[in-house]
Amino acid sequence: MMADADWTVAEQNQDAALIERIRGGERAAFVAFYDRYSPLLFSVAARVLGERKEAEDVLQEVMLVIWNKSGDYDPQLGTLSSWAVTVTRNKALDRLRARTRRLRLIEEAAILAEDSDATSYPSANEIVHGRERAELLREAMKELPADQRMAIELAFFTGLSQSDIATRLQQPLGTIKARIRRGMLRLREQLGGAL
Amino acid sequence: MIDEGMQEQAAAYALGALNADELKAFEVSLRVDPELRALVRELRAVTEALAGTVPALEPSAAVKERLLLEIDPRGGTGAKATQAQPPRRALGGPRDAAVGEPVSGPAGRPVQAWIPWAVAAGMAVLSVAFLWQSTSLRSQLAAQAGRINELTASAELAHAESAELRLTVAKLRESNRLASFRIALLDSLLAGAPTAIAVSVWDNERQDGVFIVRNLKPLPSDKDYQLWIIDPKYPSPVDAGVFQVNAKGAVREDFRAKLPIQTANQFAVTIEPKGGAAVPNTKAMVLAGS
Repeated sequence: MMADADWTVAEQNQDAALIERIRGGERAAFVAFYDRYSPLLFSVAARVLGERKEAEDVLQEVMLVIWNKSGDYDPQLGTLSSWAVTVTRNKALDRLRARTRRLRLIEEAAILAEDSDATSYPSANEIVHGRERAELLREAMKELPADQRMAIELAFFTGLSQSDIATRLQQPLGTIKARIRRGMLRLREQLGGAL
Repeated sequence: MIDEGMQEQAAAYALGALNADELKAFEVSLRVDPELRALVRELRAVTEALAGTVPALEPSAAVKERLLLEIDPRGGTGAKATQAQPPRRALGGPRDAAVGEPVSGPAGRPVQAWIPWAVAAGMAVLSVAFLWQSTSLRSQLAAQAGRINELTASAELAHAESAELRLTVAKLRESNRLASFRIALLDSLLAGAPTAIAVSVWDNERQDGVFIVRNLKPLPSDKDYQLWIIDPKYPSPVDAGVFQVNAKGAVREDFRAKLPIQTANQFAVTIEPKGGAAVPNTKAMVLAGS
């Protein structure tokens, strides 16, 4: 069995090779990227938007960005897949903002609660990284204090600014910033070599 | 050493939670500070892990088809559309290009009598090869169709399970009175059930709400959970009804307050005798939050 750090290095090396081949215009590399990451990116878009059709449109947009603008990707700021996740999340939120943000927030709050015990579903991590590593990631998220997890999930999945979250949760802005910082750093520590 | 303020910005940056001004300032720091870039890289990996905890869904096969057409409408096998494409080749392999060429020898040489027989034999071999290939492809297609059916069934199940929640949200949307909604997260006060959590969505204008609970322990039949709304207008919490959770510790209930609510400051859940109590037993409070 590979150690977490070995897993990660192997995946990162594969991704680095993949982006080089995509930049070189190799269609097979693009297809390999699509096959590996489309479930993750689609699941993120679907989570943000709450529906499949628009999520598929977002996935298509993101994949075209990967194909046509892979030069925008800066490896110093993260892996190719983390960049793709960020692009997906931002494009999904752009669409969401075209709808009524407040409407969506209500649904999101409810979905957060619904998903807090979503262990019966395979996660997108499971599809991309395999069951064992996905379980590690899920456990790390579960161990996070609820207030930190809530602030982090609201920031990522709903696109609320930290000020918006502070207003929404009726907490001082400094408290929200501290919760997000502590939560993210704690996850970084807990996930360690699995990242 | 990165100070706490910069760590906060890095965490928010990785999550996409900085506003436009903060983002601009942070990206200036990012350009000149390699340590900060390293931190952002790690935090972005955290963000990716967080993103991956959502239930997995598969896009339809049509997305991939559309994409492949879009990146190269000619269906080429390698380079981007702007680059030279290799000549397309049929499924049969490298020799297929020869099929259909005139059956003749090198220029000027007469066709030998044995050549038609050789061509016929070659065609027979090709036919067998195509037959085998066709059978193999059919088998692959059947397997793919099975996989698609499986994935469709999974997606339908996931959608069905969330349909009820979405119906509730749709009802809320129809109300068109969203400004008056109050959303509260209730955390567990139980050492033995720290993962218990609830969300309350309260419509102050309609004076009703939706309450969703997870991971709360089912109660014996002579007890009920009771929801309370803390409104500063009243000296004690307002009764918002009783509920039970299912075997998995979950429930979703529509609720109303027993008195008109002016400001729903906080929500709390207590364990009470069956049917509920007039005032909460604060020693048996299991969830609370604002």
